[in-house]
Amino acid sequence: MSETKPKKTTGRVNSFKIIQAIISVLFLAFLSWRLYNVISSGVYGPDTWVRFAISGLIIGSVYAVIAIGYTLVYGILFMINFAHGELMMIGAFSGYFVFEALKSIPVAATGMSFLDSYQIISVVLAFIVGMFMAALSGYFLEKIAYRPLRGAPRLIPLISAIGASIFLQNAAQVTFGPQRRTYTNPDALLRSQGWRIPIGGEEVILTYTGVLTFVLSILLLIGLYTLVMRTRYGRSMRAVAENKQTAALMGINVDRIISNTFIISGALGGAAGVMWGIHNGIIYHFVGFIPGIKAFTAAVLGGIGNIPGAMVGGLLLGIVESLGPAALGIDFQLKDVIAFSILVLILIFRPSGIVGEVLTEEKV
Amino acid sequence: MSKRYYLFSILIAVSLILAACGGAAKAPDVCAENPDETVCAVIEEGSTIKIGYAGPMAGDYSAFGIDISNAGLLAVDDAGEFNGFTFELLIEDTQGSGEGGASVANLYVSDPDVVAIAGHTFSGSTAAAIPIYNAARLPMLSPSATKADLTDGPQDVFNRIPFTDDLQGQFAAEYLYNVLGVTKLAVMHDGDAYGKGVAERVQEVYMSLGGEVVAVEAVTPGETDYSAVLTDIGASDPEAIYFGGYYPECAVIAQGMPVAGMEDVLLFSDDGSYGEAFIELAGPHAEGVYAATGAPLDSAAKAEFDAYFESIYGDPPGAISTFTWHGYDIVDALIQTIKSVAILGDDGSLYIPREALVEAVNGLSGYEGLTGVLTCNGGECNASGPSFQVVQDGAWVIP
Repeated sequence: MSETKPKKTTGRVNSFKIIQAIISVLFLAFLSWRLYNVISSGVYGPDTWVRFAISGLIIGSVYAVIAIGYTLVYGILFMINFAHGELMMIGAFSGYFVFEALKSIPVAATGMSFLDSYQIISVVLAFIVGMFMAALSGYFLEKIAYRPLRGAPRLIPLISAIGASIFLQNAAQVTFGPQRRTYTNPDALLRSQGWRIPIGGEEVILTYTGVLTFVLSILLLIGLYTLVMRTRYGRSMRAVAENKQTAALMGINVDRIISNTFIISGALGGAAGVMWGIHNGIIYHFVGFIPGIKAFTAAVLGGIGNIPGAMVGGLLLGIVESLGPAALGIDFQLKDVIAFSILVLILIFRPSGIVGEVLTEEKV
Repeated sequence: MSKRYYLFSILIAVSLILAACGGAAKAPDVCAENPDETVCAVIEEGSTIKIGYAGPMAGDYSAFGIDISNAGLLAVDDAGEFNGFTFELLIEDTQGSGEGGASVANLYVSDPDVVAIAGHTFSGSTAAAIPIYNAARLPMLSPSATKADLTDGPQDVFNRIPFTDDLQGQFAAEYLYNVLGVTKLAVMHDGDAYGKGVAERVQEVYMSLGGEVVAVEAVTPGETDYSAVLTDIGASDPEAIYFGGYYPECAVIAQGMPVAGMEDVLLFSDDGSYGEAFIELAGPHAEGVYAATGAPLDSAAKAEFDAYFESIYGDPPGAISTFTWHGYDIVDALIQTIKSVAILGDDGSLYIPREALVEAVNGLSGYEGLTGVLTCNGGECNASGPSFQVVQDGAWVIP
């Protein structure tokens, strides 16, 4: 009796694995068949594919910056900060008000507003204020909503995070009004203006705002990675992530590290908000919700708790959303279905994400 | 109840025959033969001729009710005295709901001095009220109920002056094909009942006209980036995009079109996208975008009304809802029709045969109002449909 039991189990595991393999082969075959059909039918010219890729990379880089915020907080506290999308919204609104304020300041020397006279300074100011306001909100968010629940079971701060998210959305609606607003960019960053690249007889516009968004995202990601991996401060962050008690014994101020993590993650969210505003233009109190959910998906996709993973996940999600429906020849309203199907597949076949979660003893 | 209803029908039939035989001159005879107030309203000396308005006067949608009834009150003022009688506009709150509509309808039916209904305002409230007014033979003229099937069914009292969603779609398709000369159209909508309904109607009519629909795509409302779906549409090389939905999504589309390779492609939308808010959101990208509107074309009468309305209420018409002019027109049209049907009796009372009034409202023809020339046909009084406007130099203008 006792000898047959393990045999049965191994048999079950094997058949499950075989079924898994068969399903994945069939699925891949189906995908390649759809892809072959779409490409061979010639619906999309090379210029269209390039446009899909460009828009995917730009949106993906914003997802990546937001996803890093989720990953940083998760790495340290093992909780999902669902109010992170709202930090992005706060950044977007701050940037909007900076632009509006600078637009109303006349500069006598040029006869134009401050916004158009000193464009680079204006954009830098918008980013600084947006990042500062979001970082400040992140700091207080942790103090008010999460710190009192530090010792509570994992589910409790999660619910608190959802509550904070709803609170921030509604607070923004009451403060700024329910109407949508449009970013007034400086002249050099007019939306839909950009470099025109001839591809396959057509001109593809590479927008200035898109390039700014992409380059800035990559710089932020590299900067953050260097901070966490190469500096003394980053080492103490990693130590807290590894084990809070031991880190405290080694003389690290755990509370301050956690506060600072929320400040850094808030600043990244704020930067993402200003980029979103400059590139997409339209903002309202609900603007952070969908990108927040997408970025969370991206973080899980790449392996939550892992900084390069969040970056890979964000870019991949952006490209899949943009190229996926076209490549498979299905309706664009289903782009989220593709994105979340990939999430489910990754969770089934590689639960720790594409790059892999950094597993500490505590999490294991 | 049903017995009473049959009795009504017989009386109505009799009155119809009499009306057909002798025209309006026979009307007092009808009233004399049937002293029942359900057949012939008798307004005694010193009373007012009552018209009932029903709409949302409180709550989320109160802007519509207050705006429309304000305009209606002006029409009552302008009507002045008629054979020594004055008109009165009763205003009741439906909260925009079906239940509210039914209870207001029951209230009006129970008042024998109410002879006509200016309303209702919302489609749901109107649908609930129609059977009640139909049984009591009270003619209706709605300023703003646009649901297509309201004019159908076993009733003959309901009329309306706004264009329906179906009519809007038909006119838009014809305008695109005939006036703008677009031969390849892409259709987009936001998946909502209104936007999807209009867009599907446009697609249907446009194809029946001989145009080619090269792409149909839906977008998710609330998002602020449609670059991927627009790139997909751009690949099918349309000459114009028709978007069914509201202004926030329309602004996102307008802004995303150049990057998707559609700098020269026309964007055409419905009356959900029309308004200052769209221009504010889309900024420079709003230029050249077409949208439909129920707001009337400029005329001398409209300019006069606009100034008068603003001097009394502070806001110009159209600022609160786009149905201000409709509110004036329905009340004024009902007053004119009542005047044409009412007969002053020898006893000094005013007799208004109800069935004749229903017929007269249903047969309203060539009424020149602020919203255009109204001729009712099967309940639809605005055959002229929407007008189309385009954004030029940051303002909506007639192309």
